[in-house]
Amino acid sequence: MTNVLTLLRRELGAYFASVLGYVVLMFFLVVMGVTFGVIVGYLNRGPTQLTAMKIMFSMFWLPSLVVVPMITMRLLAEEKRAGTLEMLMTAPVTDFEVVFAKYLGAVTLYTIMWALTGFYVLILQRFSVGSTLDLGPIFSGYLGVIVIGQFFIAIGLLASSMTNNQIAAALMSFAVVFLLLIVLNWLTYLFPSGVLGKVFHAISSFDQMEDFQRGIVDIRPLVLYASGTALALFIATRVVESRKWR
Amino acid sequence: MIKVENLTKRYAGVTALNGVSFEVQRGEIVGFLGPNGAGKSTTMRILTGFIPASSGRVEVAGLDVFEDSLAVRERVGYMPENNPLYTDMRVSEYLKFRSKLKGLPRAERRERIPEVLDLCGLKDVSHRIIGHLSKGYRQRVGLADALLAEPDLLILDEPTIGLDPVQIRQVRQLIKDLGKRHTILLSTHILPEVEMTCNRVIIIHRGRILASDTPENLMKTLNAGGLIQVEVHGPGSEVQAKLRAVEDVESINAKMIEDGYVRVLMTPKSGTDPREKIYQTVVRNGWTLRELTRARTTLEDIFVQITREEDEAEEERREERRSVLR
Repeated sequence: MTNVLTLLRRELGAYFASVLGYVVLMFFLVVMGVTFGVIVGYLNRGPTQLTAMKIMFSMFWLPSLVVVPMITMRLLAEEKRAGTLEMLMTAPVTDFEVVFAKYLGAVTLYTIMWALTGFYVLILQRFSVGSTLDLGPIFSGYLGVIVIGQFFIAIGLLASSMTNNQIAAALMSFAVVFLLLIVLNWLTYLFPSGVLGKVFHAISSFDQMEDFQRGIVDIRPLVLYASGTALALFIATRVVESRKWR
Repeated sequence: MIKVENLTKRYAGVTALNGVSFEVQRGEIVGFLGPNGAGKSTTMRILTGFIPASSGRVEVAGLDVFEDSLAVRERVGYMPENNPLYTDMRVSEYLKFRSKLKGLPRAERRERIPEVLDLCGLKDVSHRIIGHLSKGYRQRVGLADALLAEPDLLILDEPTIGLDPVQIRQVRQLIKDLGKRHTILLSTHILPEVEMTCNRVIIIHRGRILASDTPENLMKTLNAGGLIQVEVHGPGSEVQAKLRAVEDVESINAKMIEDGYVRVLMTPKSGTDPREKIYQTVVRNGWTLRELTRARTTLEDIFVQITREEDEAEEERREERRSVLR
């Protein structure tokens, strides 16, 4: 466990030692900030069913699709390319510790990124007139974006373990996230009912996010994403180990 | 310290190591010598547990590297080929990170990091970013890292590659000093390096060990090169005939040079030194002698000879196989 913490600190350090961490945060904050501004302007026109944070959370697909490949592409691919994996794996640490620390590093950056949007909640709380903010759906909404995001990060890490080219890793994770997120969402429209429709609705992140931002915390998506992450991390560890039996 | 038995490593279609066995005793500095692609790095990677062997047994400090991989890694300081480092970290930061990974407790870390910084001459650059350092300094950072946990065994893969002559000298001196306290296995394809730093040489070629001995013994037994050069003033053909007749001379090669002297290159029979007899022959004939020297056999000669013999043997085996097929 101490090894994981040491490696995790290194991972976070690496994000902010290069420009990558800052660029990712900036990209995210610009997009979300503009969106927030527009939403607040729109909601000022008159009463609606929507809340500002609900709309913010429904933007979750954008960071999943763009930010996740950006923050996961270098994790293992760069270590392999630079040969530093050899330094790492000849220190007394296990392959899984390395993979897990890298996963945690990316999840931490992703969480920090979303945590910064907490300022929007503070702004809303301070300036909304005549109504109090319902914090329940906001918490469950944050839970939703993190739970879904961490799974895609595990996918991105898996992609990064398979190549020593960062661009290839980024494109691979983009493609897989696109399939699991966007294409699956389209499929729920193509199959509104029937067995297939039920399956697609059950595993579509958009449907699940709909629940989360409403304040519903369903155990099923939590289990689904936790298992998905476990599987992806397991395979990534195996891929790292594959140098031993290839 | 190291015990390798019948080590074989096959990559898809390529046999990188073929039944390698050797031992390294505590306190030795052993040089692993071989051309590129001979299997040096592969052996080192197996010793450090980065990759497993296809077959064979490897023990480091009495521990099996496959079964007790983590325990072995704690006892080995390793500097891989090309010395990969996190170039975005500062020197002291990197060493702190590595010492934590190697499980050094905080108190020991505080003591040990300044120690290795000092030992490797990195004090002045400890706050610089590794990526901004020159190659020589980076090499020292790699060495410092290998030394952090005071390992029983240091494994250094090409520690002086890519350095300038001054840096090479510094790193070699450092290795020599370290040899007083650590067992060292280093690989190189630069021969003077082994001659200068190592107590023992293991020559490896095409995944097989061809020789293992002290540099001096290797030179004595093989006696490769060791040509005798003689320059005498006398009638060319007579000089040639008489010198060829000298006892213990294998073959000679004479050449007239401008000023009436004959330059003769003589190959002595293995393990003999006919210089005295050459001198007597010259004196007996009343020629003038202005040079009689024996070239010092270098490790380079030995190396070239051994690998050439091996290549020729390999060629013969192939030839045989071909004729069998026909």
